[in-house]
Amino acid sequence: MKERLTDLYLPSKAKVIDVVDMTSDVKLFKVMPEKTFKYKPGQFLMVSLWGEGEVPISIASTYGVREEIELCIKRVGPVTSAIHSLKSGDDIGIRGPFGNGFSVNRAKNRDILFVGGGIGIAPLRSLINEVLKNKKDFKKIELVYGSRTPSDILFMDDINLWQKKGVNVILTVDRKDRGWRGNAGIVTEHIGKSRVSFKNAHAFVCGPQVMINAVMRDLSSRGTPEGNIIMTLEAHMKCGVGKCGHCYADGKYICTDGPVFSYKEIKQFNLNGV
Amino acid sequence: MGSIYMESLILAKSNLSYWLRQLRKEMALIGPLKGENNDIVFKTVENIHEIILDCPALIPSPKEFIFPQKEDMFRFSKDKVENLRNDKKRLIFGVRSCDISAIILFDRFYGEKFVDDYYMSRRNNTVFISIGCNNPDPTCFCIGLGSGPFLSLGFDIQFSDLGDRYLVEIGSTNGMDIVKKFIHLFSQPKKSDYDDQYEAMLSSQARFEKRINLENARQKILFEKVDDSFWEGVAKRCFECGGCVYECPLCTCFNVIDRKYSETEGIRIREWDTCMFRGFTKMAGNIWPADKKVMRTKRWYFHKLIYYPEQFGKFGCVGCGRCTITCPGRIDMATIAYRLKVGENERKAD
Amino acid sequence: MDKVPTICPYCGCGCGLYLHVEEGNIIGVSPIRHHPVNKGTLCVKGWNSFEFIQHPERLKYPLIKENDTFRKASWDEAIKYVANQLTDIKKKYSPDSIGVMSSAKCTNEENYLMMKFARAVIGTNNIDHCARLCHSSTVGGLAVAFGSGAMTNSINEIADAKVLFVIGSNTTEQHPMIGMHMLDAVDKGATLIVADPRRTQISEFAQIHLRQKCGTDVVLLNSMMNVIINEGLVDIPFIKRRTENFDAFERVVKKYPPEIAAKITGVPAQDIKKAARIYATEKRAMLFYSMGITQHITGVDNVRSCANLCMLTAHIGQPMTGLNPLRGQNNVQGACDMGALPDVYSGYQEVSEPSSRRKFERTWRRKLPSKPGLTLTEMFDSVLKGQMKAMYIMGENPVISDPDSSHVTEALKKLEFLVVQDIFMSDTAEFADVVLPAVSFAEKDGTFTNTERRVQKIRKAIRPMYGSMPDWRIISEISKEMGYDMGYRATHEIMEEIALLTPLYRGILHHRLDDNFGLQWPCSDPDNPGTPFLHRKKFAKGLGTFIPVDYIPPAENISKKFPFVLTTGRMYFHYHTGTMCRRTSTLEREYPECYAEINPEDADSLGIKHNSMIKVSSRRGTITVRAYVTDKVSKGTIFIPFHYKEEAVNLLTNPAVDPSAKIPEYKVCAVRIESV
Ligand SMILES: Cc1cc2nc3c(=O)[nH]c(=O)nc-3n(C[C@H](O)[C@H](O)[C@H](O)COP(=O)(O)OP(=O)(O)OC[C@H]3O[C@@H](n4cnc5c(N)ncnc54)[C@H](O)[C@@H]3O)c2cc1C
Ligand code: SF4
Ligand code: SF4
Ligand code: SF4
Ligand code: FES
Repeated sequence: MKERLTDLYLPSKAKVIDVVDMTSDVKLFKVMPEKTFKYKPGQFLMVSLWGEGEVPISIASTYGVREEIELCIKRVGPVTSAIHSLKSGDDIGIRGPFGNGFSVNRAKNRDILFVGGGIGIAPLRSLINEVLKNKKDFKKIELVYGSRTPSDILFMDDINLWQKKGVNVILTVDRKDRGWRGNAGIVTEHIGKSRVSFKNAHAFVCGPQVMINAVMRDLSSRGTPEGNIIMTLEAHMKCGVGKCGHCYADGKYICTDGPVFSYKEIKQFNLNGV
Repeated sequence: MGSIYMESLILAKSNLSYWLRQLRKEMALIGPLKGENNDIVFKTVENIHEIILDCPALIPSPKEFIFPQKEDMFRFSKDKVENLRNDKKRLIFGVRSCDISAIILFDRFYGEKFVDDYYMSRRNNTVFISIGCNNPDPTCFCIGLGSGPFLSLGFDIQFSDLGDRYLVEIGSTNGMDIVKKFIHLFSQPKKSDYDDQYEAMLSSQARFEKRINLENARQKILFEKVDDSFWEGVAKRCFECGGCVYECPLCTCFNVIDRKYSETEGIRIREWDTCMFRGFTKMAGNIWPADKKVMRTKRWYFHKLIYYPEQFGKFGCVGCGRCTITCPGRIDMATIAYRLKVGENERKAD
Repeated sequence: MDKVPTICPYCGCGCGLYLHVEEGNIIGVSPIRHHPVNKGTLCVKGWNSFEFIQHPERLKYPLIKENDTFRKASWDEAIKYVANQLTDIKKKYSPDSIGVMSSAKCTNEENYLMMKFARAVIGTNNIDHCARLCHSSTVGGLAVAFGSGAMTNSINEIADAKVLFVIGSNTTEQHPMIGMHMLDAVDKGATLIVADPRRTQISEFAQIHLRQKCGTDVVLLNSMMNVIINEGLVDIPFIKRRTENFDAFERVVKKYPPEIAAKITGVPAQDIKKAARIYATEKRAMLFYSMGITQHITGVDNVRSCANLCMLTAHIGQPMTGLNPLRGQNNVQGACDMGALPDVYSGYQEVSEPSSRRKFERTWRRKLPSKPGLTLTEMFDSVLKGQMKAMYIMGENPVISDPDSSHVTEALKKLEFLVVQDIFMSDTAEFADVVLPAVSFAEKDGTFTNTERRVQKIRKAIRPMYGSMPDWRIISEISKEMGYDMGYRATHEIMEEIALLTPLYRGILHHRLDDNFGLQWPCSDPDNPGTPFLHRKKFAKGLGTFIPVDYIPPAENISKKFPFVLTTGRMYFHYHTGTMCRRTSTLEREYPECYAEINPEDADSLGIKHNSMIKVSSRRGTITVRAYVTDKVSKGTIFIPFHYKEEAVNLLTNPAVDPSAKIPEYKVCAVRIESV
């Protein structure tokens, strides 16, 4: 008896068509997949570089806007460093999209607060653009975004554009430099400045683990229901499809059950030890 | 795998070698053979008469044939990717009931949601003949889990040793395929054959030295909140060898590695991996979510005792006793379940 | 699919494992269920020992250096080139201008051949191997005390012992499967005493953990013996009947009452007394030691003290009772047995002893040199002095493993000719004029001798990878080219010759090793079943000798400028210079970079955070590593593993050596720590 098997682990080819230096250690890669596919904000791809390895990377672009896919990648280790050395015209392998992704349906007719830190803006960008496609479905839309230094702020062009479209943006940096007039300090110090009504708002949080933990607690103390605080979790991932076990935590596979979870779920499943 | 099928036949022991010899013409035949000294290991069978028919669950578990320790996934070069999926036909003779029980869960794990094609391809092309256990080992405790010593379904083919003949129960179409062509070697079972099988089963059940009820352990963890100091005491003895995971027929984790042969050529492989290692969950930027050994020890037990039942309605353990043999720290499933039950902190010197 | 039984290539436990082979590919390993050492278990290195074998970075063909870069060469060319160069240098200078380094990773047969090559073909006794760096103090120290420098008991006996005294051995991490037997003993009610400055895993199972200061072992042991003598726990009949020189020894020990020892060692006097009483009064007491004892300038003294303690209490010469140095490498015992040492032939037959020399001369048909050769540490000095001109290094990586590595690299650069034979391009090979690709344990036949003197067979599982050749073949080829045809067709023929010339191995022949997991030497004839424990009725040398030992502090003391003690060692996931394990993905992932264990109090006072980078400097160099804050190390001490070439801790270590064994003091040097 023969069942037809699909190549679950075989990456398909994508061509890098543009590389944009964003900061000293972050680059934006525009890639054109051989076969196009549909995806949701918050989903990720397993990105391969032959001989170097495969890493999970969130999709930073929004489906339906442009044909190419954008990946915003921070150089932190061997694989991401190798990816950083790519130029346009080079090939990479991709698998996916994987993960549950964000869902904004429940946020309709409510305020939305995005809280991002560092590279965490990448999946949020996809979501913000998605939300802005149907802006009238939502009430206030705000973004609090923290970076290490002013020169580490990513997607400044997009941020300006979002502001023009009516998103209230609060930027903050850990360390100021000379030209910086804006806020300083970690994001939780500035969430209070937001004008969303915390009790009804939906919050989408992406960033480093410590930031996420702090923001969850902060929002929860401001009365945002735990089921409305949504974030993406990070984990070591090797397969993206719930088989390799690396991302497994207390009964959940971050790659297939997540990476998007609500604070409620995180507490319920005791994920990431919060 | 194939779909479910049910039929019983009788095979005279004197017909076994002939049948296996014929089958070997079509597929690789692997069975329990003599290894170093008194060891018995699964190997490709050269001389059919050397197959050892009565042996305990072997180390390592037969998962090595459907989920090998190291598996080549695909080869890549500048402009080509070549899938190395294995689809060789194989017959694995002489595995145990617990192994089959584990494979049934494996089929679900690798086959649900996303289908793991490397696993499925091997699985679809492998027929397992299991032998009901007339003589369980001192380390076996499948009896408390319903995963042995004899099974009533889920196998491809199950043999029951009735002295001069085998009762051959065929449980899948894949199993039937290898019987069909040689049906003349088999005869119809009589009622007395089933009686004999029943007797063998009863006498086997009476021989178990270990009676371990994992449900007790689960309840204890869930409802009586086992103290962290208990787990600290367990973790303290862990050598971080990974053996419990490598040996366990129900552990599924793997790592994926690229190997470069030249600037443009290489191969991607996957290898058994274990959650007993701190690097298993490490993240970029020197983040080690499970740096403490106790977190990993707990994770293994919780996965098998709490989350497996939630996900599959079955424990992540079939009582094969392999971790009892292979754990240098003597903190295997049977020992810990026992300690959870009696609630003492130190292992009984038995 | 085949499963080839063989022996783990990592540590001296010598666990039995199967290599799983499918169509010429090694696809896994599994433990041998009934093996007397591992009994169906393996440690993480054993479980992952298959991965490096077929690594694409394996050396594929001989390399010859031209204009500072390597080029591919044929075997013919390379062998001829090496043979000619060695012959020329021998003629131009002298045989002693050539040094040979054998390897504890290679088989007995290969070590034997290497020593035959050095002595008979080159004509020098300048042959040594890395045992110099780990257990030369054992070989020397125990030779004088007992007449044999090996574990007196078998691993299988450990579980039934009543007292285990473990000093300077991080057993569960360095000899995991021996650690397993120890835990089994503890479970069965044995008392475990651990003496180790670090809080190791095994120490957590100890009833008494003595945390002596690094380098004060002699004081600790002398003072235990002081208690034993004072409290009359001595076995007087045994001492009278089987030992000599007790009185001189007693005089020295009298100088170390526990109260004084407490001040020097930092161990409470009460604990010293307790440990002494327990050790002396139980019947089946086993003493274990390892690098924590040997790698000091007082290495030999430390070993002698251990021997004294055993004789004093008659804890020797019976099952489950004895003195057990745990040897590090898979075949370091064998390499010593085979005479890969500057002063002895195989079986510890001295080169300066005319009768044994004649025996070898007759069989080998060559005149042999009588003066003992240079040790490994001395060889590099000799190169720098301009005396040694060429070296032939097999399977060793002194650039990383030897103390004060800059000294070693300087020497290697100065050599006129260097041949390195290895399976990967090692840091040492980079300096070579010729690199010869050898095979791993999976591609050849032969024997390893584990730490309990068990000679076991390794078996060829796959054909040599790429264009590599087994070490024993390479040596014979070079030898033939140099006009001495060794003429072996297979490794069992070499073993026959070893048996012929070596009383310890007389009954050890390949065909006898297939059943029952090998044989333990001494094995006096082809019917002898081997010897599970030594010194039964009398010591190998007749009477056991007490050797008085006085305390000498470490060569380097802490000072204002260098206020911390640095101690180095191995860690569980890696092995030595990392050529194999660091090409094994699981092992490399666990500890991908060098680190320094530092006590929380010290970290606090220096403002060092867990996982932050620190700079560690000694009088010889500086390295930058990540801080791992843990109370495993005591205050004032830091620990750094030596596996990492990126941050080679042996840039810091002190090359001061033990005066007789020439073992360097890896375990103590003074350093300064700064956060960066
Ligand atoms: C769902 C998801 C989305 C992500 N999206 C992005 C993104 O959009 N942009 C971006 O820059 N980074 C993203 N990351 C993080 C990124 O995957 C890691 O930075 C990357 O894996 C590091 O690999 P490395 O080899 O360079 O570093 P190393 O530290 O050497 O990592 C070694 C291996 O560990 C694993 N690993 C290490 N860190 C992580 C991690 N944080 N997550 C998963 N696996 C890890 C990988 O398998 C990697 O091969 C995302 C991670 C997840 C889980
Ligand atoms: S947990 Fe142990 S006894 Fe249970 S199935 Fe796994 S290896 Fe067998
Ligand atoms: S087998 Fe035992 S010692 Fe090894 S990792 Fe598992 S629990 Fe730890
Ligand atoms: S204990 Fe030693 S010999 Fe045994 S598997 Fe581990 S490294 Fe190999
Ligand atoms: S990434 Fe493999 S299971 Fe989630």
